[in-house]
Amino acid sequence: MQRISNPRTLVLLIALVIGLAVVSNLLKVPAGEAEEPDVAEEITPHVVFTVGPLEVTSTVVNTWAMMLLLGVGAYLIGRNLKPRPGLVQNMLEWIVEAIEKLIREMVGVEDTAIFLPIVGTLAFFIGTANLIGLLPGLKSPTPDINTPLAMALVVFFSVPYFGVRTRGVWSYLKHYVEPIFLMLPVEIASEIARTFSLTFRLFGNIMGEEIIISILFIVMPLFVPVPMMLFSIFTGLLQAYIFTLLTCVYIGGAVQAHK
Amino acid sequence: MDWNNLPWDKIFIIVTVLITGPGVIVGIVVPAIGQMIVASAGLKAIARQPEAGDRINTIVLLSLAMLESLAIYVLAVILILIFANPMLKYIVGVE
Repeated sequence: MQRISNPRTLVLLIALVIGLAVVSNLLKVPAGEAEEPDVAEEITPHVVFTVGPLEVTSTVVNTWAMMLLLGVGAYLIGRNLKPRPGLVQNMLEWIVEAIEKLIREMVGVEDTAIFLPIVGTLAFFIGTANLIGLLPGLKSPTPDINTPLAMALVVFFSVPYFGVRTRGVWSYLKHYVEPIFLMLPVEIASEIARTFSLTFRLFGNIMGEEIIISILFIVMPLFVPVPMMLFSIFTGLLQAYIFTLLTCVYIGGAVQAHK
Repeated sequence: MDWNNLPWDKIFIIVTVLITGPGVIVGIVVPAIGQMIVASAGLKAIARQPEAGDRINTIVLLSLAMLESLAIYVLAVILILIFANPMLKYIVGVE
C-alpha cells in the first residue's frame, strides 16, 4: 500500500472499483429469462443453510463477509502505523478525527477515549454495510430489518451504561424524574420510541433505495439505474453519519449533568 | 374481469393499492415542508453568523434526520400494505 503515493492513483483506483461494481451489476441481469423478476423476491433475504433449528439467512452471511473484510483491513492497516502517515492511514486518521470531533461536540466531554470504540465501530459498520451492496455477489445487510434493529438495541443499552459509568447510578436514575416525577413515563416512552425511530430510519432509507434500483433494473436494465446507484453511495454514507450523530446525541443526553 | 360483481378479496386488494398513492403524496409533502422550513432557517442563521456554521450545520442535519424519519414511516407502512399485508389472510383465506 505504500506504493500509492499519488492521490490521483487512489482516485483512479476508486473509480475503477466503482466502475467494476456497476458493470458487474449490469451483467447480473438475467438475459431472456422466462419468468418475471420479482421485486419482493429480490429484496427479502433467503435462507442459505440451517444449523439445527437456526436458519442462517443471506443477511448473516453477508454480515460475516463484511466483518471479515473490515477485520482483515483493520489488521493490515494497523500493523504498520507510521508517524508520517501514508495515504490510506491519513484518510482513516481523518475519519477517526472527525468522529472524535463529533463526540466532543455532541456528547460534550473532552476525553473521548471511552466513547470512541462504540461510536466509531457503529459508524464504520453502517458505512460499510450500506456500501457493500455495490460489490458483485454481496448484498447490503441493512435492508433486512434485523440488522438496524440490532444496532439500535446496542445504542439503547449503551446509553444507560455510559450514563451510569460517568455519573453514577443515583445521579443517572435521578435524571428520569428531574424536573418533576411526572416526566418518568415520558422519558421511558421516548427512549423506546427513539430506538424504533433509529431502526426505521436506517432500514427505510436503504430499503427504499434498493427497491427503486430493483424496479429500475426490471424496467430498463442497461445504464438507467447507474445514477441511482451513484446516489445510493451518498445516501448510505449520509445515513451512517446520521446514525452516528444521533448515537452521540443520545449518549450525550445521558452523560451530561443537568445544565 | 367482471367489474360489476367483484369478489371482496379483489376489492380489498384494489382499495389497498389505490390508497397507497394519496398516502405517499401526503407522507412526502408534509415532511418536505418541514424540511424546507428547517433548511431555510439554517441558511439564514449561517448567513447571519458564519463563524457558528459548524454547529448550525450539525443541528440542521439532526433536525432534517428527524423529519426524514416521518417520511420513512410512511414508506414502511406502505411497503407493509403492498407486500406483506397482515389483513390479507383474513379476507382471502389462509393458505
